[in-house]
Amino acid sequence: MQPAVELNEVSKSFRVRRARSAGVPARVRDLFGGRVETVVAVDRLSFSIAPGERVAFIGPNGAGKSTTLKVLAGILRPDAGDVRVLGLVPSRQRHELAFQIGTVFGQRSQLWYQLPPRDTFELLGRVYEIDGRSHRRRIDLLTSLFDLGTLVDTPVRNLSLGERMRCEIVASLLHSPHMLFLDEPTIGLDVSAKAVIRELLRTESEREGVTLLLTSHDTGDMERVCARVIVIHGGRLLWDGPIASLRRSYLKAKRVTLWSDAEHLELRLPGVRVLSSGSYRTELDVALDVTPLGQVIDAAVRVAPIRDMAIEDTPLDDVIRALYANADSGSLAS
Amino acid sequence: MTALARKYAAFARIAIAQARRERAEVYGRAAFFVVILGVFSSLWRAVADAGLPIAAEPRSLVWYLAATEWIVLSAPPIHLEIQEAIRRGDVVYQLGRPASYVIAELAAALGLLAVRAPLLGLTAFVCAYAFTGWIPPACALAIVVPFGLAGAALLTALFLWTGLLAFWLQDVSPIYWVGQKLMFILGGLMLPLQFYPEIVRRVAALTPFPAILGGPASFLLNDGLIAPGALAGRLAIWSVVTAVGVAWVFRRARAALTVNGG
Repeated sequence: MQPAVELNEVSKSFRVRRARSAGVPARVRDLFGGRVETVVAVDRLSFSIAPGERVAFIGPNGAGKSTTLKVLAGILRPDAGDVRVLGLVPSRQRHELAFQIGTVFGQRSQLWYQLPPRDTFELLGRVYEIDGRSHRRRIDLLTSLFDLGTLVDTPVRNLSLGERMRCEIVASLLHSPHMLFLDEPTIGLDVSAKAVIRELLRTESEREGVTLLLTSHDTGDMERVCARVIVIHGGRLLWDGPIASLRRSYLKAKRVTLWSDAEHLELRLPGVRVLSSGSYRTELDVALDVTPLGQVIDAAVRVAPIRDMAIEDTPLDDVIRALYANADSGSLAS
Repeated sequence: MTALARKYAAFARIAIAQARRERAEVYGRAAFFVVILGVFSSLWRAVADAGLPIAAEPRSLVWYLAATEWIVLSAPPIHLEIQEAIRRGDVVYQLGRPASYVIAELAAALGLLAVRAPLLGLTAFVCAYAFTGWIPPACALAIVVPFGLAGAALLTALFLWTGLLAFWLQDVSPIYWVGQKLMFILGGLMLPLQFYPEIVRRVAALTPFPAILGGPASFLLNDGLIAPGALAGRLAIWSVVTAVGVAWVFRRARAALTVNGG
């Protein structure tokens, strides 16, 4: 089966003008041509995504995520490498591709602010050259699935951020795209609005087989919507695989919370770090490749009777932070 | 109507719908119009009463000013919208669609113009009549209106060109204000170009401003600046020049997109 997205050794650089230095003479010289630097945004990046996959695409600020998304959408032309999205070359076939992809940018809006979303939906029907009757049916279907009700006829300026984001996603799905690019779709939303958006994205992707490529700094978005994560750093691929294996392979650690009869549980084992202890509750960070979990529990039971326990994976945030930190220090081989 | 025409007509329609909800801005422009015409009609009367020589009747000059201000105020300042879209990054939405960004922006701006021009035209007519007690010949008005609308459309396209410069400049207001001042003098915004020295008129003829403002409005004076046929020709030439300029700048702007989307 043809991949939905295929990047092969893609690079993109920008020439950025920088001030030479502080001071009036330097500023005057800058007026007649400042120092021009080449910034590598994407550096020989390769990955592929199968149709219908939901992939989180993450990296620290300045890692090259937005540039990659713009290359995939055909907005930017890569300097080197091959890109194919849905079998098309974005930079050459941007117009044809535009009919088959959708974009959602959490911090930007495509809705006309003073008008109800329905007006924008109707405009998009014309933009994507959809037959009037099919378009109206599609609006009705998505309005119902996204539970928009009367919101679709309420001016955008009167919608909450969560309501507006549901409308933005509907706007991006109106032309039945095969691929949806999402950039921070839950940014600024409260917990329940985030949960709604994540659920809608997942179910819509499953229902219509839409391939999702999601960029977010919120690990909740990745865990609840996507099955796979691609991590980039400095424009290069740092990790590509299932989210579960990112945790297991990269940080072999578990977080263990014990409630015991001892107010402070004293455990001295290699690879076990006490994160907090007191009030009959002890929180431990256990490096599994140093000390197996069973050995930790055995040791704890020997110290004091255990009343309850919770074993959790290390939060994904911590895993990703460590991944970035290692990449910064250059200790992780690409 | 082809799918392509329907596509861009939809941008004009939605802009009209949005303009109807933003009536306050048009009312503000109309109020500004009343003040400007009131001040200048008093000024021209005072000049005439003082026995100072002026080359045209004060009442014609008030109607001339009403026409030039109508053209300027009807043209929507879309450079500000484009500048904001580029600054916020909203432009990436438009660039990723199967529609030309510049044609869509122009179509939306012409939709706004279609809402503003009639209302401001009515304001101009009522105010100029109220301040002068005179109405120019119907044939003069009939020729001013289509040329004025064409001038306003060309001015809108120039604002579009100015807005696209935000891909590099971020803030295009200096360019806009320089353009405004040039239009003030070389377009004959307040005073017909016929009253300026020869050298100014020669320089003005090299710019689009007389075709946008002074040309259409001077049909309300006894001696028109330019014949209708020649004015139509100049408007056509400047429209082509502007279209080429917009296309060239936009092509360069897309190449200049930065990591943040411009």
